[in-house]
Amino acid sequence: MGYIGESIRRVEDPRFIQGQGKYVANLELPGLSHLAIKRSPHSHARINSINVEAAKELDGVIAVFTGRDLADGIHESGACGALPCGFRPPGIKVPAYHPLAVDKVCHAGEGVVVVVAESAYIAHDALDLIDIDYEPLPAVVDAKATTQESAPRIHDDIPNNISYTWVLGDKEVADKAFAEADHVVGSI
Amino acid sequence: MTEVSITVNGTTYTQEVEPRLLLVHFIRDVLGLTGTNIGCDTSQCGACTIHLDGLAVKSCTVLAVQADGCEITTIEGLATNGQLHPMQQSFWDNHGLQCGYCTPGMIMAAVKLVENNPGLTEAEIRHGLEGNLCRCTGYDNIVRAVQAVAGGG
Repeated sequence: MGYIGESIRRVEDPRFIQGQGKYVANLELPGLSHLAIKRSPHSHARINSINVEAAKELDGVIAVFTGRDLADGIHESGACGALPCGFRPPGIKVPAYHPLAVDKVCHAGEGVVVVVAESAYIAHDALDLIDIDYEPLPAVVDAKATTQESAPRIHDDIPNNISYTWVLGDKEVADKAFAEADHVVGSI
Repeated sequence: MTEVSITVNGTTYTQEVEPRLLLVHFIRDVLGLTGTNIGCDTSQCGACTIHLDGLAVKSCTVLAVQADGCEITTIEGLATNGQLHPMQQSFWDNHGLQCGYCTPGMIMAAVKLVENNPGLTEAEIRHGLEGNLCRCTGYDNIVRAVQAVAGGG
């Protein structure tokens, strides 16, 4: 069998077309637990209080953690700090980004509480037993309006919600090229 | 708990289930047939498509108790006597998959689409598979695979 100019059938396909593919969700490990995340329904809100007592008492629930629990290190493995940012252009301002919201949520869908349970159904049941008192704050939903002085500030330590300004290219060289061009199409 | 009796790929299983148990979880977690994938939990992606009494349905949108007394075919039951179903063969021949996650649902949906609609056009195939999403962006080859079985053009 030649390979040049031939359409080669993939060797891995037979298992996928017969339902024998192995995906993470198919793994059944000894002692496997399930996790569910309670997420913020608000775009921007202060978390006044979180009550997880009823969730913790539900049969089959193994553990419940809030963002504060992780940040303060209530677990024997210690405190879980903010997640580092891998992209660091000059002058970037990086807010502390925690695995779960601490004291305040900054976007709808942000994780607030996690439940670990013996089954996925129990973990999701427990989410319904968690009581969170939110104080909604003004949200920003428009990228340009967000950077105005009057816009609500999402992170207290970052004025105008601007993380960084990234400038590319050489303005002088570009201006000269346009000035000397035979034709300029459109406007800048 | 409620007792259900469901025939899957020719074998009848009688089990006690929670009334709220989704059919897809019955298939995957109770029977261990993990070929039927869950992609979205919200009935949008079609990865969990199976045949329920001859109809292609999204098994994340059916309760196991609703399938009591029904006959189900999953991707594992599509080949007969070690012989791939023509739709499975065609997906392989036409490179109609990459990661394979949407593939079981695509194949199960496509089988019923072709069975119920002789002389399908390419546009009809695309319309008929609207309820199945592929995130590898493999739609062109998927449509070619289905066309090859449908015999239309």
